[in-house]
Amino acid sequence: MTEVLHELLRGSLDHCVKCTICETACPFSNATPLFPGPKYAGPQAERYRVEDEPSVEWSVDYCSGCGICTQVCPQGVKIAELNAQARHKRKQESGVPLRDRLIARPTVLGRLGTPVAPLANATLRSRPFRAAVERAFGVHRDAPVPRFAGRTFRSFARRHSSPPASRRVVYFHGCGTEYYEPDVGEKTVAVLEHNGFQVEIPKQGCCGLPLQSNGLFDDARKYVLRLARALAPQARDGALIVGNATSCTLMLKREAREILGLADDPELKLVSERTYDVCELLLELHDRGELKTHMQPVNEVVAYHAPCQQQGHWIGKPALELLDLVPGLEVRELDARCCGIAGTYGLKREKYDIAMATGADLFRQIGASQAGSVACDSETCRWQIEHATNKPSAHPIELLHRAYGLPPAGADSKRSTLRGVMTRNVERVRNRART
Amino acid sequence: MRRTLHYDAVVVGAGVAGLTAAARLAESGARVCVLAKGVGSTHLAPGTVDVLGYEPDGSEPPRRVDSPARALPAFVAERTDHPYALLGVDSIRPALEWFAERIEHGPQQGYRYLGEMERNHLLPTAVGAARPSALVPETMAAGDLRGTGPICVVGLHPLRDLWASLCAANIVRLGVEARAVEVGLDVDRPDENALGLARRFEDPGFRRTFADRLAPQLRDDERVALPAVLGVRDPHGVWSELETWLGRPVFEIPTVPPSVPGMRVSDALRAALRAAGGRLVVGAEVGGAERDGERVTALQAHTAGRDTTYAARWVVLATGGFNSGALALGSDWVVRETVLGLPVRGAPAPGARRFVPEYFGEQPMSRVGVAVDPNQRAEGLENVIVAGAALPGAEPWREGSGEGIAITSGHRAAELVRAEEGLGAAV
Amino acid sequence: MAGLSTDVLVIGGGATGAGVAWDAALRGLHVVLADRADLGEGTSGRFHGLLHSGGRYVVKDPLAAEECIAENRILRRIAADCIEDTGGLFVTTPSDDPAYAERFAEGCRATGVDCEEVEPAEVLREEPRLHPGISRAFRVPDANIDAWKTAWALARGAHERSGARVLPYHAAEAIHRRGDQVVGARLRDVRTGDELEVEARVTVNATGAWAGRIAGLAGIEGVRVLPGRGIMIAMNHRLVNTVVNRCQMPTDGDILVPIRTVCVMGTTDVHTDDPDDQTVAEDEVQAMLEDGERLVPGFRRARALRVWTGVRPLFQDTKEGVASTRDVTRAHTLLDHAERDGVGGFVTITGGKLTTFRLMAEETVDAVCRHLGEERPCTTATEPLPGSEDGEHYMLGERLARREDGLLDDQLVCECELVTRRKLEEAMRRRGTSNLDDFRRVLRLGMGPCQGGFCMYRAAGIMHGLDGMSAEQANAALLGFLVERWKGVWPILYGDQLRQARLDDWIFQGVLDVGHLRE
Repeated sequence: MTEVLHELLRGSLDHCVKCTICETACPFSNATPLFPGPKYAGPQAERYRVEDEPSVEWSVDYCSGCGICTQVCPQGVKIAELNAQARHKRKQESGVPLRDRLIARPTVLGRLGTPVAPLANATLRSRPFRAAVERAFGVHRDAPVPRFAGRTFRSFARRHSSPPASRRVVYFHGCGTEYYEPDVGEKTVAVLEHNGFQVEIPKQGCCGLPLQSNGLFDDARKYVLRLARALAPQARDGALIVGNATSCTLMLKREAREILGLADDPELKLVSERTYDVCELLLELHDRGELKTHMQPVNEVVAYHAPCQQQGHWIGKPALELLDLVPGLEVRELDARCCGIAGTYGLKREKYDIAMATGADLFRQIGASQAGSVACDSETCRWQIEHATNKPSAHPIELLHRAYGLPPAGADSKRSTLRGVMTRNVERVRNRART
Repeated sequence: MRRTLHYDAVVVGAGVAGLTAAARLAESGARVCVLAKGVGSTHLAPGTVDVLGYEPDGSEPPRRVDSPARALPAFVAERTDHPYALLGVDSIRPALEWFAERIEHGPQQGYRYLGEMERNHLLPTAVGAARPSALVPETMAAGDLRGTGPICVVGLHPLRDLWASLCAANIVRLGVEARAVEVGLDVDRPDENALGLARRFEDPGFRRTFADRLAPQLRDDERVALPAVLGVRDPHGVWSELETWLGRPVFEIPTVPPSVPGMRVSDALRAALRAAGGRLVVGAEVGGAERDGERVTALQAHTAGRDTTYAARWVVLATGGFNSGALALGSDWVVRETVLGLPVRGAPAPGARRFVPEYFGEQPMSRVGVAVDPNQRAEGLENVIVAGAALPGAEPWREGSGEGIAITSGHRAAELVRAEEGLGAAV
Repeated sequence: MAGLSTDVLVIGGGATGAGVAWDAALRGLHVVLADRADLGEGTSGRFHGLLHSGGRYVVKDPLAAEECIAENRILRRIAADCIEDTGGLFVTTPSDDPAYAERFAEGCRATGVDCEEVEPAEVLREEPRLHPGISRAFRVPDANIDAWKTAWALARGAHERSGARVLPYHAAEAIHRRGDQVVGARLRDVRTGDELEVEARVTVNATGAWAGRIAGLAGIEGVRVLPGRGIMIAMNHRLVNTVVNRCQMPTDGDILVPIRTVCVMGTTDVHTDDPDDQTVAEDEVQAMLEDGERLVPGFRRARALRVWTGVRPLFQDTKEGVASTRDVTRAHTLLDHAERDGVGGFVTITGGKLTTFRLMAEETVDAVCRHLGEERPCTTATEPLPGSEDGEHYMLGERLARREDGLLDDQLVCECELVTRRKLEEAMRRRGTSNLDDFRRVLRLGMGPCQGGFCMYRAAGIMHGLDGMSAEQANAALLGFLVERWKGVWPILYGDQLRQARLDDWIFQGVLDVGHLRE
């Protein structure tokens, strides 16, 4: 943490007029009294913090770091960022449990689980095993865990070559796509190529967001800088970086620079300025009349939930507007705040119930929407939603992929399938319900 | 790749004025985007529509207005620099009608506003003072102090922003019989904000328990006053059910911010905007503009990682006044418009009094706003229209005029753009 | 009319008067302590909060420096809980004469003020907001001291030790003489108008800048106190965590003191004839902001909460010109009126500074004992004040730590300064006052960024709920607070605080419409 950056964040507390808007919007303080709210933990408590006095707040650990407070603040206070600093200090002093160190490293988990996917998936769904893990590590037995795909997105990327085109983008796929949802990655690539992009997929790792949100700032810095180094060369050549994981792209765009104090790193700065959420990019394309809008009807009702960190991009909800282009598709915008998972927050034994209570409003809305499925930009949120509602979910890009009538993902892989996104996801949820 | 999005109109600010202008424009077929740094000041406002509550005529405290419709012609004749003089008294009524319709057809089923410009309601505030408002949510109307029946003010323990005993005692001072009771709520925390309670009241079991605890404490002919926490998504349902259960009029009293009735307004106007195809971007602070002569061609918004350019044929500036940071007074005592650097009007001259030492006095600094022409256009710019608290010449709280100005100026801003663009009539 | 009889009547409830009460109580004397307002409402509560190391005076007034460092060490022991050990710095900024640093270091050596020169780079790491161009820096044992907490601890201690009566809001109406002997005074409760006769063996005039007036009531002429007023500006949060002084001859606007959640920039020095002069002059504000920029670049953009005026009591026994008060000695003055005027039973103590209040009290009570003809040794240098027994200094995080403890079962009334409902109700019952400003001083209620915007309605509501409080009283308390607060807000209202003030106005004048409670 550079002092200068901290001073900038701290300086923003001067804008706070105590209006409490952030606390009405905070998904977590509304679900648990253990977190007294972003105003309390941010601009308010910050006035009581001195570098050389010990952290006295246990409650700040119950902040999930979702960032909604900063987004809704009409006065420009960096509330979530201040809270992240306080949480980091707290964790530094009280120590970070092994569990948090582990679940904050999706690449490690992914590498372990992928080669033995069927076994890993079965084990992770075994009640006795999960109970043991809960006792030993503090990962809640009911918390949603994704299924290893059994193959990595990388294996697709290595084989795949994008047809040359005038527009180049670098695809930042994130860990969720890499280990759990390679098909979403393939569809993203296909949709981009369909719209005239040449897609490059350099070797890449984790953005460090889970580490950051678990207070492991030093490790998070290493991860994000390594990623920035991997993406920077193409960015320097003028390519845009585009991702489908909104939390990870937000980490690159803003959070690493603001929360981890990396504002001055030139490569990260370059990457940050050139990073796009895939829906953001496609909507800009559409704005210029260059998005392909010839689509097949998708006669379904889908509920759309914009994840917290998608909202932290401060770009509105481009996915909504893209989905509006799909003929036949009826999109119900949900206005509930948060699903509760916040990356790794809802996995933790002591926070699982809070996470479920946080998401309760969203789950109710999904139930009431009569939609057959849920569209949402973030993979961890989708897993939580499926877990809580038993409804299938998809990334908005999957719906576009379908509307464009593009060949199904995995077509060039061993797991070739001809089923559409939703059908397969329905299957997936049914399987889960049975186990 | 240019990072530009194109709109017919970009509205800056998501308060009542901005959302009104945006929704109205979108309804006329314009491509509209609202850029807002955060949620609007709707979340702080009591949710009533105050058109003209007081005439600051030098008397202290200022004299109350019974009928805005009757008082306004003389008011604007005397105050030619007031926003109402600029907007024209005649433009108020259609704007209010538009607003009331949007609420009535909004996402809160059955929820509506009551009242008219002819006669102000006189509603008790949380401290028990009488406050005049033209249009009020149906959930507040029964609180009119000229109405019949004694009032029982109900305090809810975890809410710090309405104190029943003080409220009731001051209502008594106004000559209305009143008393206070406290009802315990099953809430898991010592403090709960108004929105948190409103969400709880949307749970039928929660409000049933509440009603069961309150009912035995009530006397025959009493009206029931509650803090304004009767639901945010379904206020009509919550309120009417309580009236039925308790068998008597129930009304809400606005709390100290955050304000649930204000959030209902925000939700309804946002829904109107979305239904008409308008876009809303929250979190994006506008930090600059591209100009071509006397036209603003695009706005720069601070989005994560970089700025995004929003090209627009029209800009509606509904950013508010000092309290939202749209206007800023420096320590050099110079007032600046912070979004586009526009000229301001009404600022005290250098060396003149900025504020008077009397707290309740008329503060010279409060009338500052963005300098505009009769069509609300910012001085020197053809396509920037100013609405809401950014307009100069009003003292919204001393006059009780804030929402009237916001709705009317937002509505009129849309009408002006519509006329220039030759857009169709609103749906 | 009610009456009291006591050994010592102390008029003036600042740090000195309360210190006299504590000292006398420890010596076994019965005391009545009276102030026309609240304890610490005068000069004591209207300073920047600095517990001097003496560094400020090492060149200009070595005697004062020696007094300061001696008292600094004593107060750190006896009033530990009222003091936060921030440490202090003297820094040579580009605006300061670099030659002064050597004189300063030499002065510290000569007067025994602990001083260590440190690398500017190290200082900038600790205090990143300081002017990057500082060329030299010295560490000294400056600290901050909460004057209200100190005054109340002294008064409470006096009550606990010898049953002292503490009478805030009791103004001295008359001082009674029997021949050449002062025998007591008539006090009036300014809130109720009730009068109270106090018969006292010795009366102490500890009214600081007002000492001339009180001496006049006793028929004593020529006690001339030259009030010098200075403004102080509280900033919204701590821009520095160490007391920062400019290393130069003492002048205006050269100290920035972090105290509690804020930091205070001080001060100016303007002669005034009226100790009640609360003027905040425009040019002084601007000069102070400029001075702030010299210490902390960007100071003008930071949020200023409030400005106030303190009036220093500078005693002068000459009749010469009074153009500048800066050169009048800071040292305090004890007037034994038996020696000076042939009037027994009456002692005046004035001048001095908050850091030396204990010494002033000691000398005063020594004189009282002489009047009484009794040998009673002073023990204040070793006896800790109530609350300071464990010798632990106050830490900024204390309130937050306590709040975390009560998070699940106590309401928070003042969110900025973390005042809980239980704490407030307890204070309301104890003090029995309906003046919300009194709770501002003892609890810091309404002293934070929103300046009471969110908590004052709550406080009025809570107060009204207590026994025997009428709506009129609660309204008056609320309106009184708003009017009083505005005085310290409007002269420095700009930037972020203006946003806050507009929201506060919206709440009070719009949502609550409190203005019409006046009808």
